[in-house]
Amino acid sequence: MTIPSSNPPGGSEGNVLSVRDLTVRSKERTLLDSISLDFPSRTLTAVVGPSGCGKTTFVRSLNRMAELTPGLRVSGSVSYLGQNIYGPEVNPVLVRRRIGMVFQRPTVFPKSIFENAAFGLRLINTEESEIDRAVTDSLQRAGLWEEVKDDLDRPALSLSGGQQQRLCIARALATRPRVILLDEPTSALDPAATQRVESTMQGLKDDHVLILVTHNVGQAARVSDRVAFLHTGHLVELGPTAEILERPKDPRTEQFITGRFG
Amino acid sequence: MATVSAHAPGLAPDDVLTRSSGRLRWRTGFDTWMGWLLPLLFVVAIFPILDLVYYISSRAVPTLTWAILTNSDPTAIDALGVPIVTTFEIMVVATGLAVLLGVFGGVATAEFLSPGSAEWIRASANMLAGAPSVVVGYFGYIAFVTYFGWGLSYIAGVVTLSIFMTPYVFRTADLAFSSIPRPIREAALGSGARPSQYVVRVGAPIAFPQILTGVFLAMAIGVGETAPLVLTTTHGVIVPQTIYSPVSFLTGLIWSDFSSPANSGLQILAFQAAFLLMVIVVGLNIVVRFISARYRKRLEGLYQ
Repeated sequence: MTIPSSNPPGGSEGNVLSVRDLTVRSKERTLLDSISLDFPSRTLTAVVGPSGCGKTTFVRSLNRMAELTPGLRVSGSVSYLGQNIYGPEVNPVLVRRRIGMVFQRPTVFPKSIFENAAFGLRLINTEESEIDRAVTDSLQRAGLWEEVKDDLDRPALSLSGGQQQRLCIARALATRPRVILLDEPTSALDPAATQRVESTMQGLKDDHVLILVTHNVGQAARVSDRVAFLHTGHLVELGPTAEILERPKDPRTEQFITGRFG
Repeated sequence: MATVSAHAPGLAPDDVLTRSSGRLRWRTGFDTWMGWLLPLLFVVAIFPILDLVYYISSRAVPTLTWAILTNSDPTAIDALGVPIVTTFEIMVVATGLAVLLGVFGGVATAEFLSPGSAEWIRASANMLAGAPSVVVGYFGYIAFVTYFGWGLSYIAGVVTLSIFMTPYVFRTADLAFSSIPRPIREAALGSGARPSQYVVRVGAPIAFPQILTGVFLAMAIGVGETAPLVLTTTHGVIVPQTIYSPVSFLTGLIWSDFSSPANSGLQILAFQAAFLLMVIVVGLNIVVRFISARYRKRLEGLYQ
């Protein structure tokens, strides 16, 4: 099987993901209230907001991970290249193969470095030569290749935290998903490792739609093209990074970026 | 104004680090005494076990020879060959059945069932694990020996014993899969793994050592069980030839021969069988320790 390229068909620059009236409720309360926004290709959107504003729930509902949490109900629509991922005929497994995810703390499997990077490819019965090529490619793009190329058979758990997180990015990249969701990928890393992961993310912008959840305004300023500010489940503001961070229109956004809460 | 300590002039009482009276001293003393008392209680608790080991070994070892272990002459008194081979056959098949039922049941409960039905299954398994072995044996007698008409036979004994062992395997399999960190599970599903792919490719390698531990512990419990087999089999003198054959096994031999006259050949044989069982159980427990130590290393650093 061949791996599709990450550019939309016909090289169009349209929206890869379109979110409309996305509402997520738990048994007790509304976590996300009628969120609508689009994610065009070749952009890195930072989703920022104070703790508990729903940003993690938001990205988790973009590849149907939210439903793995018992008790969450999702309504509204999320269109991936025109198909609603919550449509009745859609298989969530296929959604997650095209919309990859990186988590808050490194989640490497107790396998070798190579097998971790090859994980997604093995799920879809990829040919061995293709796996070799894709693993090399994804490790290079995740900025980990130079450090591990000589011992790909080493247990992935022997890597440092920052290397493990870049391996998780490589694992998400290997199947060439169009969209990669990053849920606070540097929150468990030290400043040096954070810097490496940030430069990795910037290198991926040209080929992927990146959606980065972060509570760190500085990180949003360094890597993102656009910022979406969430507050108590509402999308308060969305715009180019410089504009939002320098001239926020909403007082809540201003309070957050100037450090008065969060 | 702060009061000044009498012991260390110039220091406020809270800053004095050398206080040697009052509650703090009593508590430190309490900790020290408990540190001695608890190991002492452990010695008291383990004494009957050590006594039992000595009691059995002192009667079994002096007369135990390799010839007795390998002698399978059905007419000889000093022969353990047949019960050893039969016990081994029973254990292999019963463990196989228990693993099949227990592991599949545990995986299904941890990964595929709704939380409500999973709780029901867990409660049932706990109840079965808590059932006295004689009750399980009696169930085997009624179900397999009489209702299915298998008679007192090898197959009835093996199936009954495997039912007795299944909840132990089930519980470790369920626990092993349930205790895999949720982010690891989500990372696999988030990479596009179907739930079954997650179980085989990520869950199984992580859960395997724990399940293996459970299987060996179930074997250690099962090999020493008497009631499920005594009630469902009948005494044989040769290694079973068909699944309906009578069987002779170590615990059964102890059960029937121990009440023979003191120091008679049959009672000595019962002691030797008991000694052998002890060695097997200890051996299985050592294997368990070895496995868990070996694999714990491999999983070190996994997302906690």
